[in-house]
Amino acid sequence: MKTLRALLRNPQGAAGLALCALVMFAALFGPALAPKDPEAFNFGARFAGPSAEFPLGTDWYGRDLLSRILVGAQSTVLLALLATFIGTAAGALIGVVSGYLGGVVDEILMRLTDALMAIPSLLFALMILAALGSSALNAVLAIGIAFTPGMARIARSVTLQVRSFDYVAAAKARGESLAWIVGAEILPNTIAPVIVEGTIRVAFAIMTLATLSFLGLGAQPPAPEWGLMIAEARDHLFRSPWPVAVPGAAIAIVAIGFNLLGDGLRDVLNPRTGDHA
Amino acid sequence: MSASFLLRRLAYLALTAFLVSLIVFGVTQLLPANAATMILGEYATPEALAALNERLGLDQPAIVQYGNWLGNAIQGDFGVSLRTSQPVGPSIMAAFGRSAMLAALSLTLVCLIAIPLGVVAGTRRGGPADLGLSVVSYLGVSLPEFVLATLLLARLAGPSVGLFPASGYTPFSEDPVAALRHMALPVITLAVILTAHISRMVRSEMVDTLQSDFVRAARLRGLSKRQVIYNHALRNSMLPAITVIALDVGYLIGGVIVVEEVFAFPGIGRQLILAIQNRDLPMLQAGALIMALTYALANLAADLAYAALDKRIQYK
Amino acid sequence: MTFTLDRRGFLRSAAATGGLMTLPGLVSMAQAQDITPGGTLRVALNITPSVLNPMLLRLNSEYLLAEMLYSSLTMLSPDMTAAPDLATEWSASADATEWRFTLREGVTFSNGEPLTSADVVASFTKLLDPETAAPGSRNLGPISEVVADGDFAVIIRTATPYADLPVALTYPTAKIVPASVIEADFDSLGQTPVGSGPFRLVEFIADDRAIVEKNPDYYVEGQPYLDRVEVRTFPDAAGAAAAMLAGEVDLLTEIQPTDFARIAAGEGIEGMRTPSGRFLDVVMDCTVAPFDNPKVREALSCCVDREAMVELVAEGYGTPGNDSPVNASYAYFSDAPLKQYDPEKSKALLAEAGYPDGIEIDLVASVKPDYRSAMAVVLREMAKPGGWTINVKTMDHPTYLDQVWKKGAFYVGYYNMQPTEGTIFNLLFTSEASWNETRWNNAEFDALVAKADATTDTAERSELYAEAQKLMREEVPALVPCFFDLLGARGQNVMGYEQNPRGANFALHKVWLEAGS
Repeated sequence: MKTLRALLRNPQGAAGLALCALVMFAALFGPALAPKDPEAFNFGARFAGPSAEFPLGTDWYGRDLLSRILVGAQSTVLLALLATFIGTAAGALIGVVSGYLGGVVDEILMRLTDALMAIPSLLFALMILAALGSSALNAVLAIGIAFTPGMARIARSVTLQVRSFDYVAAAKARGESLAWIVGAEILPNTIAPVIVEGTIRVAFAIMTLATLSFLGLGAQPPAPEWGLMIAEARDHLFRSPWPVAVPGAAIAIVAIGFNLLGDGLRDVLNPRTGDHA
Repeated sequence: MSASFLLRRLAYLALTAFLVSLIVFGVTQLLPANAATMILGEYATPEALAALNERLGLDQPAIVQYGNWLGNAIQGDFGVSLRTSQPVGPSIMAAFGRSAMLAALSLTLVCLIAIPLGVVAGTRRGGPADLGLSVVSYLGVSLPEFVLATLLLARLAGPSVGLFPASGYTPFSEDPVAALRHMALPVITLAVILTAHISRMVRSEMVDTLQSDFVRAARLRGLSKRQVIYNHALRNSMLPAITVIALDVGYLIGGVIVVEEVFAFPGIGRQLILAIQNRDLPMLQAGALIMALTYALANLAADLAYAALDKRIQYK
Repeated sequence: MTFTLDRRGFLRSAAATGGLMTLPGLVSMAQAQDITPGGTLRVALNITPSVLNPMLLRLNSEYLLAEMLYSSLTMLSPDMTAAPDLATEWSASADATEWRFTLREGVTFSNGEPLTSADVVASFTKLLDPETAAPGSRNLGPISEVVADGDFAVIIRTATPYADLPVALTYPTAKIVPASVIEADFDSLGQTPVGSGPFRLVEFIADDRAIVEKNPDYYVEGQPYLDRVEVRTFPDAAGAAAAMLAGEVDLLTEIQPTDFARIAAGEGIEGMRTPSGRFLDVVMDCTVAPFDNPKVREALSCCVDREAMVELVAEGYGTPGNDSPVNASYAYFSDAPLKQYDPEKSKALLAEAGYPDGIEIDLVASVKPDYRSAMAVVLREMAKPGGWTINVKTMDHPTYLDQVWKKGAFYVGYYNMQPTEGTIFNLLFTSEASWNETRWNNAEFDALVAKADATTDTAERSELYAEAQKLMREEVPALVPCFFDLLGARGQNVMGYEQNPRGANFALHKVWLEAGS
């Protein structure tokens, strides 16, 4: 609650929160909100501009772009959240274990994350997708894996601070198991910085997911995934700008929302100015 | 900075390269169909497939294939493309050269625009320039390259406007003007998005530096604001900017893959996508390796530059 | 009795035996005043040719290159008839099982050796040897034996009667190479072409360019008109289209339907469009449920608005299909009223077939070319009101080839036009077809096609093929919703290029560049 109030006082945070709330609403209730069947063809209205009937115009099959965006919000936004969650959870676990255990395990894990972080993340995701095959869920997995090393680094550095606290030493002295110490004592105390980092990464996940779909490696037709919508629209680029502009604007709005929210959260929760990936 | 630091960094570099090659190799082993399927296409018979697999060495155990590849790669021989039956080395290096030209032009443009923008915004914090920059840079940071590239394509290269060619490539040696025209849209796309990143970074560093003790001390000593900015703050803000630019090389590599695809520019990114689509393992190996090494080297160079510029940083 | 065959009836066949009037050399001399020889033609290909060995070609881009370097016995004309190439004339026995081809004299290969019947025999022996694994060797017909008849004639015998042999021999891999090269080092043809075609190879860099120059010893006097052809290869359609628009190439042999209008509107560019028998089909495995029930297949065929399909999938650059792979581009096309879109009938048929609640099924489409998945998505929408829930599964091309093609129960296929009805039926739809992907295995259809193959009477063949097409329309082993036009573009100064609807023949030796441009 305190965090929320602080967030609302922060201009970036407030704007981000509002945008993200709007986006989440669309993602959760998009199919119910869509005025038309997102897959229905309208033969007489191909490449239509915005009108009362089609508020954001239509695509090359005469499908209603507003409905497609609303329904597609689910596969775009929720999948990006899932990808971020996978990367954050896996990274936090690895980072905490590595930081807590220290020694050889830590050394090996950290050298591995160094090496993996040296691979540009889009390239990394591309390679994983080349192995798993093209689908939206595989793209989610690829992004999750690509995010893991970075998150592990952050979680580890927080763990190194927490590890020296008394309550951890006490738990150790009580003879608690490794799983209990990590799960009950260390993880909860590393959660705040990890969440901040995770929020900023959602924006990046959305853009990467759309990019992978655009390259033909993520969602597959006829899914109304936003990146895929733009990729398909390229064939008809010079006939109507709407099929590119509408999903493009949607991606930008969502990414701006999460970027603002992430920056706001960072200001509120840990007031150091960090970098952005 | 000591020799052992450099050695350790180079060892990481080798480890990275090794891991990348291992991942790429593992990747292609998991795939249901291999290059032979793709080469023979609809004319594949079990016999023809077996024969081709044998000729390409794809019938050997994975570990033997990998060992052979690694042994040759260390000697600088990256094998023969399965798609074109041409040596991988020369064609990937030619593609890399074309991509490097895109990247270099973009980075130059970015440095010329982003750094002054960031400085102006940082020194006039809260002013209209600062506000404008932050809105625009949020937009830039949040717009994937492919969206911007496709929109630029539609607006500037369409049949009605035709300001720039929609796609393709002309070598500099043949026609410098055409070469630049072909590179204009990809470079603009990359530059806009990188500018958003870097100017934001420079701005926040500028703000931090201006609030720092030594700047305040300088102001108290009676130096003018202009003097403080140029003599103290700017130099100190440049250091993080160098790191950001190096980090953004990773971002740039991703961007290059995307813009090359959108504008059909025959660079290394397009080679990589083609290699994935065609199960062309040697090409994929070499392409991924070169990209990862470029990124790693950029980071190393940034660290060295940082150390050289800032005497306060001591590397063990 | 012997006679000369031609698929387009008696008049044409008389001209072919009278022979000399249709020889390309004479035609070209008649036009000689208008033609300006010389110059370099720059051609863009959108698929990289990587195989040079003429018997192992698989792609249209490889066909184009090989056609310039090699000759065949016969050449495919744009009207799908066989024209003389190395064979100047031919005749068949009455039962169409034994053919005699007279060879042109005075032809030399690029290695200086003269062409004789021994080279033809050696080439066919190699081509038909299963060890060679030549793609499409089954498309040549049921050839059982090839023997020399003196130095300048060969006899080709077929296991079963085969009236289309001269046309079948135009197949792009059926090239004639010197016997000495086959014996000494057949694989060397993969690097060093030795042929008797209108051009000779100067340079070949896969993925970049191939350069050929005029063969001064070519056997048609005056041809080729061009001094040089530069073939520039691009890995996909976007790159080739860009080069055409930028004026970097003079000829583009293939254009995607979505790009055509934009390229054709380019400055100094002429779009070229020719109806063709190239088609997308929706393959159904007729041996597994639900498609083992003909009513189900008929139900699906009621769910296709064929004219809309041409508009949505081929951008209007095509012709509607009627569930037979034969259209007006073929000689023995039998026209029938276009099947109407009737989703209610589909529902009724499904109910009769035991699916009162409709059918839900996965339809697989490869991503290459991209209108495969477009057709799948459009079919999904069209079939919804007819009781079908079609889930489109797109997949990358290698996985599709490996796991779905010829194996799957429901997927989108894509095929070039073939020169004759017989070749397309025997490629895809007879029980013995090379790619019998529908497993329709209809004995009546097999018999009709076999009989037509063996018949030399034009009227009778016309009837047999009409029956075969009718059977396909009724039984629907595969949906053929639309055919694609062949789309290309040329610079305005490029003359003499004629699109061949088959899509695998280019005849660049007949092309010239208009002077003063």
